[in-house]
Amino acid sequence: MAKKKSGLSDLAKREERLAYWLLVPTFFIIVVIAFYPLGSVFYNSFTNKIFASATPTEVVGLDNYRQLLSVTIKELPPVIDESTGQPAIDPETGEIQYERAINVLPREPNRYREVTQFSLFGNQYVLGATDRDFVRAVWDTVVFTVVTVVLELVLGMGIALVINGFPARSVARAAIMAVMLVPWAIPTAVSSRMWQWMFGPTRTGFFNVVFQYLGIGNGQIPFLTDERFQLPAMIVIDVWKTTPFMALLLLAGLGLISKDIYEAANVDGASKIRQFVSMTLPLIRPTLAVALIFRTLDALRVFDVFQIVLAQSRYSMASYTYYQLIGARAMGYSSASSVVIFLLIFVFAVGYIRLLGVESE
Amino acid sequence: MNKNARNVLGRIFFWFLYALIVVWMLFPFYWAVNSSMKTEAQLQMTPATFVPRDPQTNDIAVTLQNYGAVFRNESFVRGLVNSVIVAVSVTVLALMIGAFAAFALGKLRFRGKTPSLYLILAMTMFPQVAVLSGLYALITFLGISARPSMIVTYMLFTLPFTVWVLTSFFRGLPLEIMQSAEVDGATPFQTFYMILLPLTMPALVTTGLLAFIAAWNEYLFALTFTSIEPEARTVPVAIALFTGEIARQEPFGEIMAAGIVVSIPLVILVLIFQQRIISGLTAGAVKG
Repeated sequence: MAKKKSGLSDLAKREERLAYWLLVPTFFIIVVIAFYPLGSVFYNSFTNKIFASATPTEVVGLDNYRQLLSVTIKELPPVIDESTGQPAIDPETGEIQYERAINVLPREPNRYREVTQFSLFGNQYVLGATDRDFVRAVWDTVVFTVVTVVLELVLGMGIALVINGFPARSVARAAIMAVMLVPWAIPTAVSSRMWQWMFGPTRTGFFNVVFQYLGIGNGQIPFLTDERFQLPAMIVIDVWKTTPFMALLLLAGLGLISKDIYEAANVDGASKIRQFVSMTLPLIRPTLAVALIFRTLDALRVFDVFQIVLAQSRYSMASYTYYQLIGARAMGYSSASSVVIFLLIFVFAVGYIRLLGVESE
Repeated sequence: MNKNARNVLGRIFFWFLYALIVVWMLFPFYWAVNSSMKTEAQLQMTPATFVPRDPQTNDIAVTLQNYGAVFRNESFVRGLVNSVIVAVSVTVLALMIGAFAAFALGKLRFRGKTPSLYLILAMTMFPQVAVLSGLYALITFLGISARPSMIVTYMLFTLPFTVWVLTSFFRGLPLEIMQSAEVDGATPFQTFYMILLPLTMPALVTTGLLAFIAAWNEYLFALTFTSIEPEARTVPVAIALFTGEIARQEPFGEIMAAGIVVSIPLVILVLIFQQRIISGLTAGAVKG
């Protein structure tokens, strides 16, 4: 009896040892390509390290973060007309002239540059930042993320509902599923180039042809160089590329809902809209939440489309980090910007795990 | 009658939406095919034509010269070779290592299982850009060339996902299979590779496909690690940095042709393995 017991625990021990051996390669790789570099990124973010340079690296504390993240808001006083003592009026636009931002923003110890101006309660303000490009990149990335995720959710839901209307084994359904995998499967580098060509600034570009045909613009709209259109263009490209993924996730969620409840609702005479709001939406909520967070995390680290289409004319957080590393060779600074992205994504990821929990058995 | 008419209208509306989705999804692809079959002169025609047309006569005039140029383009062809090497190696490596880990996590009892699962789930969301400069420094410090660097670092986004999906698959296999094998005197490892692994074939195919596609499409690491080693560039990088043979500026005809060439293997994979890819994609999210 005693012998058998120890034999069992021997077996359990062997099983445990085998499990550890099987996990060694995975954890070794995770340590080498994730933890170690992450640690070195954290460390480097506190230094002024320049890649492949002879200048000695020094620890500079939080300087990189201060440079990246310092923002300030200053009020712009109106320019006083010397002769009248009243605020000067621009003779062309008829608007009040304000002091130039460059005279108002602090210069010491780090110089602040203008990011944007806005007016509030009749006063003119300027938003200044020590690293204008990074602050813009963060803002642009967040706007990009919010808009794309919302659009993808709404469109993805619509598509999933349309597809769900077809019987599970029908040809129509199989066909559209295949079609939807095309944008998902092709490399972002390729799709970025395709859309870049479609967004061309003359009537050789598809959109300028269509817009002119519709009477919008003169066929010369510079979609990718005009600041106003850059972000919307990025959003259009990304929505095309990732809505299918969203739709497939939601469709899988819809598939888990039993058809019986709809039959019951039909018998009770509930309208389709009513059924959607009070049955489908609550039942699909878990899938919706996962899809939402998956996409949010993905959108926050967007790189390919920004780097390929806009290069250095406008940055996402990731493309800014890339250019700091490869263009400027500023390893320390680029590391700090990596850390900022990492922390931002980490906050979302923790939310994700909290929301779902992990079933270990 | 009234109800019938409404039903018919509903059907028509449904099919209209269906067509709209198909057009939206495929149009950019169609436009790329269209552009890839135009000569430089045809590409410069305004307004752009929906099929390749002769600038003088307006007759349909298709050319394949861009495809010829693409295959004469050394850096593109080299890119194709590099992509195949990298993507295949990544897939094989991720499946091997991933299957080991997944077997342990899905079927064996040991202490520390839950934290391990948490860690791997967390890794599936790990942002590549967070370790970019660290990996780049490590690679240059160790003097590893770009191709092996890509193969190993792509584990960052293929391995956790592979482990996660395979674990849930292993978990679903009945325990009796293992027990009866043990009774027959098989060691757990023999049970694993002689009995369980063949049973996981469908899951291996699914995760393998997803790993292959992810590796084939990866851009950030490829761009960074090949910046000092252009001959190791993969296809996405080659396309992003494409300089043409025919046109002097942005040779969009050739770029589109290159894009089509690169996408076709993926489209074929997708058409053949549609069901598996979809089940793999949604596995993590829906079961959660």
